[in-house]
Amino acid sequence: MNRNSNIALVGIAVAFLVLAAAFVFDLWGRTPATPPIPLVDKKFVDTSPSRVSIAEFLRKGGDPSDYECNICHEKNKPIKIKFDADNNIILPKEHLDIALSHGSHKRNNNCYNCHDEMNLELLQTRDGRQLKLVDSTPLCGSCHGPTYRDWEAGVHGRTSGFWDRGLGDYSRLGCASCHNPHSPKFPGREPAPGPHALHPIAKAPAHHESERTHE
Amino acid sequence: MTPNPPCSSGACNGGGGNGNGGMNRRSFLRTSGVLASGIAALAASLAPLRDLTDYTSAAEFMQKHYKELSKDDMDKVLDRITREVEKQYAIRPHVKDYKPMDGVEFVYCLNLTRCIGCRKCVHACVAENNQSRDPEIQYIRVLKMPHGSFDMEKGDHNYSTPTVPEKGFFYMPVQCQQCKNPPCVKVCPVEATWQETDGITVIDYDWCIGCRYCEAACPYFARRFNWTKPSIPKDSINPEMSYLGNRPRKQGVMEKCHFCIQRTRAGKYPACLEVCPAGARKFGNILDPNSEVSYILRTKKVFVQLKEELGTSPRFFYYFDV
Repeated sequence: MNRNSNIALVGIAVAFLVLAAAFVFDLWGRTPATPPIPLVDKKFVDTSPSRVSIAEFLRKGGDPSDYECNICHEKNKPIKIKFDADNNIILPKEHLDIALSHGSHKRNNNCYNCHDEMNLELLQTRDGRQLKLVDSTPLCGSCHGPTYRDWEAGVHGRTSGFWDRGLGDYSRLGCASCHNPHSPKFPGREPAPGPHALHPIAKAPAHHESERTHE
Repeated sequence: MTPNPPCSSGACNGGGGNGNGGMNRRSFLRTSGVLASGIAALAASLAPLRDLTDYTSAAEFMQKHYKELSKDDMDKVLDRITREVEKQYAIRPHVKDYKPMDGVEFVYCLNLTRCIGCRKCVHACVAENNQSRDPEIQYIRVLKMPHGSFDMEKGDHNYSTPTVPEKGFFYMPVQCQQCKNPPCVKVCPVEATWQETDGITVIDYDWCIGCRYCEAACPYFARRFNWTKPSIPKDSINPEMSYLGNRPRKQGVMEKCHFCIQRTRAGKYPACLEVCPAGARKFGNILDPNSEVSYILRTKKVFVQLKEELGTSPRFFYYFDV
C-alpha cells in the first residue's frame, strides 16, 4: 500500500467520526418545534342547550317569582299597550329587560298575540287555547306550522340520547331552549379555535387582490 | 498493485517478512480505527431510534387480520389493548369490539341553513375519540363559504371572527362521508380499511402500515395521519373505547371519523350531534322509515352529496330548510 491509500483511509475514518458527531449532536437539527397548541376551553364541548328556558329554570329550582305576574298585575284587567310614533311598543320600566324583536315586519308587536291579557301567567294561541308559560312549544307551533311539523318529527332542533329507541331514551328540546321567545333569531356566538396546521400556512394576500381585480 | 510490492514503508503486510496473512501493529491500528469510527457513525445515525418509545409487542406483531380473529383471539387482543392503555394513560378503559347491528345502515344529514359555524362539533369529536391534541388531529373541518356558491375553492377553514355566523356566509362542516363506493378502501394495499355492513368505513390501526394512499385517494380530506406519537392529557382520555373506533392510536397510522362507533353501535347519537347548539346535525338508520334521517330525505327538497360527480355516493347529506 502506498501513501495515498493511507491518506484515504485516515480521511474516511475522520469523515465517519465527523458524521458520528453530527448524528449524536444533531448538527443539522430536527424540524423546528412548532408552538404548543393550547387545550381547548371546556365550554366548547359543553352539550347544554344554548339558553335556559323557563321550564328548565323552574325544574332546576330557580326562583319562580319573576313568572308570578299576578303579584303586580290584576287578573281580568288587561293593561293597555303603549306604542310610539313608529309603532314600536313602549316597554314599561319593569320590563325593560325584554328585547322585543319577533318577526321582521313589526307586525308581531302586540304582547297579547302570545300572552293572555286576562291572565298574564298564561299564554294563548290564536285559536283560543290557553297554555302555561312552561309549555310554550305548541304556542310557537300555532304560527310556525312547517317548523313545528319538523320539530315533531325530531328534525328541527336537537334530539339527544338514543337514535335506537329500543336501547334507550331520547330527549327533545323545546323551542325556548334555543330561541328567546321575544327575540327568536338564533344569536351569534364565539367560534371555537380553528385548526392548527402541522406546518404554518403562508399567507397569500396577493392572490385575493388579483381575484378582486378580475371581478 | 504488483503481487509482491517492495516494502518501502512499514505499512505493508509482514513488515519483517513474516509471510502472508500476518498483520503488523500499525496496519491493525489503522484498520480497526477506520472500523471503529464506521461503527460509531452507524450507531449514531440510528440516534432517532432513541425517540422510539412504544414498541410493537410480539403479540401485536403476530396478530391476525381483524376478519380472521376468532372470539377468543379478539378477547386476547382487547385484553392487550386494555393493558397498554392502562400502562400509558393510568386509566382502566372499557375496550369493546362493537359489531354492526342487523338491519341498520347509518346516514348523516346536516342542515346548512342551521349550521352557525361554531366548531363545537370539531372539539366534541376530538374529546370523544381520543384524538391527539398536540399535534392536532381533527376529523371535522368547518368551511366558511360565501352565499350563493358551492365552490369548495372559496371555502375558508381558518376563519376566526369574534362571533359566528358572519353575514353573507354559510358554514359547511366536512368529515368522512362514509361513501357507499369508498375510494380509500380500494387503494389500501393491505386491507387495513374496509366498509362494514352498517355503512361505516373502519380502519384497523393494528393492520395499517401508514402508506397514506387512502389519504391521497379521499376527495374529502377526511383521513388524518399520525406523523408523531399522539399526545392526549391523561385526564382527557375517554375510557369508553372500541377496537375499530376511538382506542388510542400509534405513530404512523391513519385515522378518521367512524361515526363514533362506540356510541352509535350502542344506539346513541354521535358526539358531534350531541354538542350542536343549532340542532343542525341529524343521524340515524336509513332503513327505518320512521327515523329522522328518513324523514329528511323524504320531505326536504334540496340535499347535496358533496362532490356527487365523483361517484363516491356519500352517506352524508347536506340539506336546506326551504
